[in-house]
Amino acid sequence: MFDAVVKNLPFLMGGFWVTVKLMFFALAGGIPLGILVGLGRISRKKWVYYPVTFYVNVIRNIPLILVIFWFYFVMPIIIGSPLDPFPSAVISFIIFEATYFGEILRAGYQSVSKGQIEAGYSTGLTYIQTTRWILIPIALRRMLPSMITQSIVTYQDTCLAFVIGLPEFIRRARIVDTMEVRSIQLFGFVAIVFFITCYIGSVISRRFEVKEKEGG
Amino acid sequence: MLGLAYDFDWGVLWRNPYGMYLLQGIWVTIKLGLIGWAIALSLGVLIGTMRISPWRWLRVIGTAYVEIFRNIPFMVQLFFWYYAGPMIFGTSLQYRINAIIGLNYYVAIIALGMYTASRVAEHTRAGFSSISRDHYHAALSTGLTHPQMYRYVIIPYALRIIIPPLTTEFLTIFKNSSIAMTIGVLETTFMSYKIDSETFHGLESTTGACLIYLALGLAVVRLMGILESRLKIPGMIGR
Amino acid sequence: MIQIKEVSKWYGDFQVLHNINEEIKAGQTVVVCGPSGSGKSTLLRCINGLEPFQEGEIIVDGVSVSDPATNLYKLRAEIGMVFQRFELYPHMTALQNITLAPMKARNKSKKEAQAKAMELLQRVGIPEKAHEYPANLSGGQQQRVAIARSLAMEPKIMMFDEPTSALDPEMIKEVLDVMIALSKGGMTMIVVTHEMGFAREVSDEIIFMDEGMIIERGTDISFFQNPKNPRTRDFLNKILI
Repeated sequence: MFDAVVKNLPFLMGGFWVTVKLMFFALAGGIPLGILVGLGRISRKKWVYYPVTFYVNVIRNIPLILVIFWFYFVMPIIIGSPLDPFPSAVISFIIFEATYFGEILRAGYQSVSKGQIEAGYSTGLTYIQTTRWILIPIALRRMLPSMITQSIVTYQDTCLAFVIGLPEFIRRARIVDTMEVRSIQLFGFVAIVFFITCYIGSVISRRFEVKEKEGG
Repeated sequence: MLGLAYDFDWGVLWRNPYGMYLLQGIWVTIKLGLIGWAIALSLGVLIGTMRISPWRWLRVIGTAYVEIFRNIPFMVQLFFWYYAGPMIFGTSLQYRINAIIGLNYYVAIIALGMYTASRVAEHTRAGFSSISRDHYHAALSTGLTHPQMYRYVIIPYALRIIIPPLTTEFLTIFKNSSIAMTIGVLETTFMSYKIDSETFHGLESTTGACLIYLALGLAVVRLMGILESRLKIPGMIGR
Repeated sequence: MIQIKEVSKWYGDFQVLHNINEEIKAGQTVVVCGPSGSGKSTLLRCINGLEPFQEGEIIVDGVSVSDPATNLYKLRAEIGMVFQRFELYPHMTALQNITLAPMKARNKSKKEAQAKAMELLQRVGIPEKAHEYPANLSGGQQQRVAIARSLAMEPKIMMFDEPTSALDPEMIKEVLDVMIALSKGGMTMIVVTHEMGFAREVSDEIIFMDEGMIIERGTDISFFQNPKNPRTRDFLNKILI
């Protein structure tokens, strides 16, 4: 029944591997940048707050596809030569996802009680130390379920790199589809793979949510 | 831009025929968003209500729908319905379906509606669940029937809880409409790509498209803001 | 007025009520106390049919609660209930909160319902707050509106589930005063509470519950001075400072 899939499995799974790599790089860059973006959003310094807020509000209103396109056209101009789809996609994703992680973490930072921060300062820690050792870890732990959910969203979003020709999972499925025309099998397979992986991801996220409620 | 080897041509945004492309694209985007939203709202609220209903099989169907539609990326769903969908109807119908002009547009609207419905369902369910059990009990204990309780007490309350997340979903549906370009729907993002393929001024055309989405976003926020203020209850936590 | 006969209830495998037997006569005020999780709140909700129970019988004013033929909606109109967190409808004013049920469940006209509502607001001491939304009312005021809301249906019985537990200390008195007045006026009342001052003043009987069972009963003086059961003594020691 899934013969077209089985026949092309190595090719398809190669695409899945590209998908996973893209997600990995996107998160490796997006989460740290998101931590900083979140801090920028609660900053009292106007020269930090306004640019960061502008950046976040603009990006969050634009579809990811467009961001991917935009970078694909912008990068060559700045660098002077055309870029490979993969690096271009990675940069687009990092810049895009950082705004979402940033907003999640902003909520996390705001949920840390002032008392805890004051406790840090009163023992002689500097702003950077308090932020690094108290604010960020507490916020991360608290927002872990949301962070996992957003990571799953990033994972699903990798499909969009399709439009700049990145040979990821669904593009490869489409390539096979044009040859074999076994669309139900092929896209069904892609759907099932995503479903299983995302479902497992959401179960993990829920487990952390319960732990969070108990541990606090 | 700082002496780079690129000559900007912002005229691509309004010169004929490119300006027309963009306008057509905007119109398609708006249609995709609004009709998709209509489907998403009606279907989503229904499914969300199913998920908290007292009947087990309704709950199961509702949960299954939500889990399926949100664990598969929208683009995969779109491809499935567009490429694989017609095949489900068997060989004879398949050719007739594929011959429909503008098939990709119709598929996109339905797929967008069904996907977004799963998210609306979740917000609806969360809204109902956040109302404490005692609140339901308080209404019932004054002698109201279940239908009366839902109509006068629970639903008006739940509605106000759901509006902020629904605003986000409404914004998202316009953004997700851009994914329809992958099956060739002539909406805003596709058009900006088309302009690039004809003029090689993709930077300007995509920037233009960005501005369009920003404007759309502002319009949606404004609209929902008016709705929210009309329904405002003094003291309920705003945004 | 209320007869509870050998009532037992399970949530799945867990038994929350064990063979409860109790009789409450018309005009009596019964106070139920006990540690949390003892089943007191559950028992109240069984009486007005909000929660089902698997064994036993509860008869309210001649009507059997668990009988499938019983119209629970009509039954609940005869039993008023006041909740720990007030549960006022946030999208309605105090007046609207009170008039909703009389208008919808008893088909009273708006005029009639509003007149009665104003009378009740007067009785609980806050007629000037009629057009305020719950968010603009203090906890004590909200709870008094909640009491008025229940009284609007002219119930034969009033049940209170820890009515003052969510209140700041300075507001507890205003609510207790309303409840004391109600009790002295002859209302049949079941009150789950830890306010022993209230119990001392108006209760005809005090019941101590723990782990889903009635451990001890008494009329108040004997109860406080000489609890027979060590568990009761233990509990009273904890709550009476």
